[in-house]
Amino acid sequence: MSSVRYQLSSVQVLYGNELGVAVDDLSFDAGRLHLLTGPNGCGKSTLLNLMAFLTKPDRGQIFFDGLAVKWEAQECALLRKRVTLLHQHPYMFTGTVAANVAFGPGARGVSKDRARMVMKESLAMVGLEGFEARNARQLSGGESRRVALARALACQSEVLLLDEPIAHVDRGSAEILESLIASLAARGMTIVMSSHDERLGAKLGARVIYLEDGKVRTSEQLSASASPRGVGGDCDANS
Amino acid sequence: MGSIAESLRTAITLILSGDRDVVSAVETSLGVALWSVLIASAIGVPLGVAVALGKFPMKRTVRVVLNSLMAIPTVVIGLLVYGLLSRQGPLGFLGLLFTPRAMIIGQAILATPIVANYTASAVQGADERILPTALTLGASSLQSMIQLAREVRFGIMASIIAGFGRVISEVGIAMMLGGNIRFFTRTMTTAIAMETSKGEFAFGLALGVILMAVSFAINVFLTVAQESHRA
Repeated sequence: MSSVRYQLSSVQVLYGNELGVAVDDLSFDAGRLHLLTGPNGCGKSTLLNLMAFLTKPDRGQIFFDGLAVKWEAQECALLRKRVTLLHQHPYMFTGTVAANVAFGPGARGVSKDRARMVMKESLAMVGLEGFEARNARQLSGGESRRVALARALACQSEVLLLDEPIAHVDRGSAEILESLIASLAARGMTIVMSSHDERLGAKLGARVIYLEDGKVRTSEQLSASASPRGVGGDCDANS
Repeated sequence: MGSIAESLRTAITLILSGDRDVVSAVETSLGVALWSVLIASAIGVPLGVAVALGKFPMKRTVRVVLNSLMAIPTVVIGLLVYGLLSRQGPLGFLGLLFTPRAMIIGQAILATPIVANYTASAVQGADERILPTALTLGASSLQSMIQLAREVRFGIMASIIAGFGRVISEVGIAMMLGGNIRFFTRTMTTAIAMETSKGEFAFGLALGVILMAVSFAINVFLTVAQESHRA
């Protein structure tokens, strides 16, 4: 039986008077692949930023490994060492690919030798061996996305949050990324990824969470219904 | 026109011969300017980052004050620091007046708002993804800010160079706090002012040529550094 990694309770994020995302009750099991899907502006990135402890909710509570997050600076800094978010449009730091990928281990105080080994392993995982000396700001879109994923993997976090990792990449890069995500999930890593393509859920064996107008429905609820769209747009109770 | 050409020839001769007055003025100018910019950078860069990223009351007021301080006349700074360091002043016991240290204090006050303001502008213009990226990769707030500073290092370097340009070319502070003492506190600018008023146009021009050469060298250095960074 898997444990619950995240529990979100009555969580709301507001952008001024606009609702960013609202979740009455939603949990994410440890060691499982979860797919957040829904139209543009439905709150996928907002939810991932919350789960990465980069944004504080305006209302509600998030529990991580059963403990309520208090959103104190020191606590968030410690939690961010356990969770890594790959942004939708990743920023590459000035310098080489190696420096970028070794950033996370360096921030964790890992020795240079160990950081170098982790960096090489991470680049190999995304199929970019030999890219160490390349300028990180002069890569193609697909290469840049793969380096960003390698950089996130090098952090060796317990949870990996991926914001549209397969959007705007060529078919070859998409296949490599999908295969890597599936293999990481099979090894028991907790992964929450967002995508417009809800077919990815079935393809990768993920639990699917639908977001629409800031509200949430899960694949469990949808499978209990004859028609996924028949559940109703205002359903917001999940687990 | 002929007198300018003649002065220029004399200036070149003075520079090439290593005239003691010229060398001393150059050394004092560079030494005082480098120290004052070092102090201004140590205060101004973190202050600029804090003003750009920090959320605190009166932030706009702090920015307005820093902007206003950029335009403060050098003689006003000279006057204020003179008041502090003069024998009757609260810091008179230190015996700093008419020493290079007094000039460094005054010029550091002059350069700090310049470095802070330009640093704040560089940080505010930085890509907004830098901090969240560093944070989510496990960096602490301090590590993230250091990374941000690395990403905008050429903007910060330009702010320091702007501060250096301001202090090496100023006269008021150097004259009031240094006293223009030969071989001790005489800088290129105070020497130019004095020698020109005495009618020693060639000597003044020689120092003017060196001042311009220093300024040109610094700009070349910055441009080359930026170009190699982009390559």
